[in-house]
Amino acid sequence: MPMADAVTTPTTTPHQTHGEPIVEARGIGKSFGELEVLSDIDFRLEPSEVVCVIGPSGSGKSTLLRCLAFLEPYDHGSVYIDGQLLGYEERGGMRVRARESRVDAVRAPVGMVFQHFHLWPHRTALENVTEALRLVNGLSRRDAEAEGMAMLERVGLAERAGHFPESLSGGQKQRVAIARALAMQPRVMFFDEPTSALDPELVGEVLDVMKQLAHDGMTMAIVTHEMGFAAKVADRVVFMDQGRIIESGPPETLFRTPRSERLQQFLNTWRERHID
Amino acid sequence: MLEILLNHYPVLIKGLTTTLVVSLSAIALGLVFGMLLAFGLTSRYRWVRWPCGLYRSFWRGTPILLQLLLVYYLLPEIGIEVAPITAAILTLTLNTTAFQSEIFRSGIAHIPTGQIEAARMAGISAWQTRRRIVMPQVFRLTLPPLTNEIITILKNSSLISVIAVTELMRVSEQIASRTFQPLETYLAAAVLYLAVNLLLARISAHLERRMTGGLATE
Amino acid sequence: MFDLALLWETRELILQGLWNTVWICFLGCLVAVSLGLVLAALRLSSPRLFGYPVACYVELCRGTPLLVLLFLLYYGGPSIGLLLDAEIAGVTGIGLYGAGYFAEIYRGGFKSIPKGQLEAARMLGISPWHALTRIQIPQMLRLIVPPGTNQLIILVKESALISIISVDDLTKNATTIVNQTFNVIEPYLAVALLYWMIIELIARGGYALEKRLANRQPRHVVRQGESAHAHG
Repeated sequence: MPMADAVTTPTTTPHQTHGEPIVEARGIGKSFGELEVLSDIDFRLEPSEVVCVIGPSGSGKSTLLRCLAFLEPYDHGSVYIDGQLLGYEERGGMRVRARESRVDAVRAPVGMVFQHFHLWPHRTALENVTEALRLVNGLSRRDAEAEGMAMLERVGLAERAGHFPESLSGGQKQRVAIARALAMQPRVMFFDEPTSALDPELVGEVLDVMKQLAHDGMTMAIVTHEMGFAAKVADRVVFMDQGRIIESGPPETLFRTPRSERLQQFLNTWRERHID
Repeated sequence: MLEILLNHYPVLIKGLTTTLVVSLSAIALGLVFGMLLAFGLTSRYRWVRWPCGLYRSFWRGTPILLQLLLVYYLLPEIGIEVAPITAAILTLTLNTTAFQSEIFRSGIAHIPTGQIEAARMAGISAWQTRRRIVMPQVFRLTLPPLTNEIITILKNSSLISVIAVTELMRVSEQIASRTFQPLETYLAAAVLYLAVNLLLARISAHLERRMTGGLATE
Repeated sequence: MFDLALLWETRELILQGLWNTVWICFLGCLVAVSLGLVLAALRLSSPRLFGYPVACYVELCRGTPLLVLLFLLYYGGPSIGLLLDAEIAGVTGIGLYGAGYFAEIYRGGFKSIPKGQLEAARMLGISPWHALTRIQIPQMLRLIVPPGTNQLIILVKESALISIISVDDLTKNATTIVNQTFNVIEPYLAVALLYWMIIELIARGGYALEKRLANRQPRHVVRQGESAHAHG
């Protein structure tokens, strides 16, 4: 599928500010039919950086993450993973949709965790973790299981290894999903509202695992409504509204001295609902 | 095929009318008896549940053609003379009652028990709860399977041609043997059945869309 | 009142009918199950090309009586040079008719697997082929067994219609006995019982298959110490 627009694709790695970004988006845009859900987004993720994306529902934050993972093809601009263009290829001066295998290769460093877990219900917790190790990395059953158990241990669920998803709590499911992504040794993890589908009392266990990951130096992009978590863990917070990035900066600056009216409004609404 | 439709439309329409009358009568009667049977199936008393279950098993578990032949030959045997069309309506009713009871039973099972408890706690009688709270919702929930059942009965009504009821299928046989154009004639019949059933499906989908407001959910 | 001797005397006709019903149903269902899979696969692999034709075919099967299809094949066939034995017309009719229903059953099975599960697989680098064979098909099989069993039962019951195009099946031979002996109850009830046995056999088989596909769920393990998570 050729790209109709006149986006130029630099053949070299995009410009560098400090260090090499693992993920870089430049001027990406996305529409669903008439509706423009992302417009002209620039986004960088440096190694070991933890970025939280916040914003009202419908602001495009989940779509941004899905475009960065090429689960939704973006219409304009470019996304680079480790300096490689994701989802498209240059062919004869034209930009064409890359083959699926090429997409897989470029986004191999990315692990993703979904709002609704998306565990495979016909596989045990351990099998959910080992499936890709065996199919993609070609590990033997025994090696994959050793590796998988280590991952489940990391999220504190080793004793649930033989359970099927239907017998796990929401928090446990999400932790298995994190272990599943970690097993492929990603260099960067995307979290798409990882706690939004959970009962309030189960949110903590998932956030704890994520905190530990951040502490271990994992690079993360997190779409979330958990402001407290964002304030404590994020190196940088990005506020989105109506498909655009409105503000971006360290959490203390962003939360204490919001510059834009929209962010002020958003924070006020949030505070009203969470008085404690 | 078009030629058959054009040349023989008066008889075809008459046959189709008989098909519709027989099917819809059976469906309407089955609605009443099916509901009663559904209550029987969910009764507190085993001596009510058990015979209802047996009835449902027999009429759902054997070919409808066999049921028709049994009814048609058995009635005179026990001294009841009925016209073929009556035997046809009777068989289809007995059959669809069993299927509709199952549709209603599962519909009732889908109404959250909390609603019934709330009604009972408000002092509404068990009968009133059924009539005013359970049944209106059951109708909405059961509309899609009920539509399927109507279409099934309409299709199954074609086999009453074997006891010489002049419905659409029988009329088509007559036309085929007169014109020596069986292929065209049966194609025409297929088109008529298809048209009626598609129309029914459309109406049902329309009703369903209109009734989705206030549907029972958890 | 119930004359068992009569059934014994006419056992050959009944057994012949049983045999014909069984083999015609078996072959017809085989055609339905496999052709249905082909139709569903075509529709899924290229919705733009095959979506509409397959949908039309499904509507055709759902909207017209099997009897009409049997008549078209058996009586209408010869006028386009298609001369089928009644038995073969029966197999073909049941197969073509059932395929429409099975195509829908397969499609429903595929559709009810959440898209996110496949996205999760893609994000881990699992190829589309592996996603199909290891994630979609195993789950789909479990989902389609109950409706599939149901459909097979419906086809067996509808197979009684082949008696109208003169196949000596259970229904036809029962009627023959009725006409010869003027006894209504015995032959029809005996035959009803045989149909019921075939259907019960299919139902049991389907249930066993369903359990077999699901028994990888170690439910006894699940029960232990899980009450803490019994939330909604």
